[in-house]
Amino acid sequence: MVKETFLHDKHVALGAKMVDFAGWHMPVQYTTIVEEHNTVRNAVGLFDVSHMGEVFVSGKDSLDFLQKIVPQDISKLPYEKAVYCQLPNKNGGLIDDLIIYKLGINYYMIICNASRIDEDVNWMSLNSRGYDVKIDNQSHNYSLLAVQGPKADELLRTMGLDTEQDSFTIKTSSILGHKMLVSRTGYTGEDGYELLVENNFAEELWDKILEYGKPFGIKPIGLGARDTLRLEAALHLYGNDLDEETTPVEAGLSWSLPKDKKEDYNGKSVITNQLVNGGKKKLIGIKMLDKNIARHGYDVYYNGEKVGIVTSGCISPVLGCNIALAYVKNISEICNGATVQVMIREKLHDAEVVKKPFIEKRNRIRK
Amino acid sequence: MSITERILCTKTHEYLLKNDDDTYTIGLTDYAVEQLGDIVFLELPEVGTNYSKGDSFAAIESVKAASEIYMPISGEIIDVNTALVEAPETLNEDVYENGWLVKIKATGDMAEQDDLLEYEDYKEEVH
Repeated sequence: MVKETFLHDKHVALGAKMVDFAGWHMPVQYTTIVEEHNTVRNAVGLFDVSHMGEVFVSGKDSLDFLQKIVPQDISKLPYEKAVYCQLPNKNGGLIDDLIIYKLGINYYMIICNASRIDEDVNWMSLNSRGYDVKIDNQSHNYSLLAVQGPKADELLRTMGLDTEQDSFTIKTSSILGHKMLVSRTGYTGEDGYELLVENNFAEELWDKILEYGKPFGIKPIGLGARDTLRLEAALHLYGNDLDEETTPVEAGLSWSLPKDKKEDYNGKSVITNQLVNGGKKKLIGIKMLDKNIARHGYDVYYNGEKVGIVTSGCISPVLGCNIALAYVKNISEICNGATVQVMIREKLHDAEVVKKPFIEKRNRIRK
Repeated sequence: MSITERILCTKTHEYLLKNDDDTYTIGLTDYAVEQLGDIVFLELPEVGTNYSKGDSFAAIESVKAASEIYMPISGEIIDVNTALVEAPETLNEDVYENGWLVKIKATGDMAEQDDLLEYEDYKEEVH
């Protein structure tokens, strides 16, 4: 059965086009994707991302357990900080990508992809044998609202957000006098916040943010623009750009992998070996040199040979050209500045390999 | 007669409009364009190409998705809306006057039009 978030009726009332996404009936757009995209880049947008999963980990072995299931070094994660992580299987392939938040001593929250909640929880349970740890899937008890864009901070200040917090931190804060978990994270490449609230406060908070956001030019934003925003920022989408056959090194996530983590973790031998020698394939960013769009599943060619496949592609409203992420064989000549071809409707179209992210990172905090 | 009373539609969302000189204009229905959302790319065939009813003759992309466009009847392409290829977003405003795709000379018989729908019936069918 298709699930609905506690904001479902709000989306319908706003005239959103609704689609099924990862088992949820979600808004894909309220006006147009490009308009919503530009609103987030230039002002502020409000997203319902309540479909995402929240899993709490507690118990005296929490740290040891997390050290086993992610390649990142959670022992270095300070209180109220967040870190981008992956959940590898024994071969280094990715079951999911996640953000882990340290909420207290032996108390962590994991935010994971909606489509992977069940797999993640199963995997964690399997791996928890022998650890004194509680894995508590609370996804159904919380709504998650994302407020993203250069005006996000100013907007939440007018709503009473009273704590100072840096990027990738989480705090219990109060907005309109209501306590909630406020995380300065997002999936747009912009500065912004994600607000974790109890379901029964979701509708009121949604309405109030839109009301207080009016002077800032706020708009509700659907999953369509969420996809173009994350792709411009070269943020991976699980199921497209990440799967169980792909390691974090191959996915271009080496920056997130510590080289000196002592503890053993799932997939460690494959991942540490690939950190030195590279993987079988690599993720590249490409920019189409004509007006064609490289879409998920299209083949990529280099020197007349099929070398890979596009995993995500769309127009870039900011750059005014079409961009894509693709996996190609680990050939050193396929590097920034090289030209590859994408097979689109039985014809090859040139694309340039460019650095990722496609747009300058804007999620540093603006003063 | 308004334009929607003069067109015939396919279940794959193309419209066929008979012109005074017995040629036909082919375009996409307003419903199709609305469903696609922001149109960002259009590929049209060359003048002189022949297609059979049901052939894919053009491609369209919105921000969301890529789709193919099919011939409502058999015909030879005699004119192509090149201005629209340059500014495909025009389609989001108007699918008839500036948003038509191609003009054709029919090469099949009238029976090919038997399965096409009046606009009102089409709308009922797709909604």
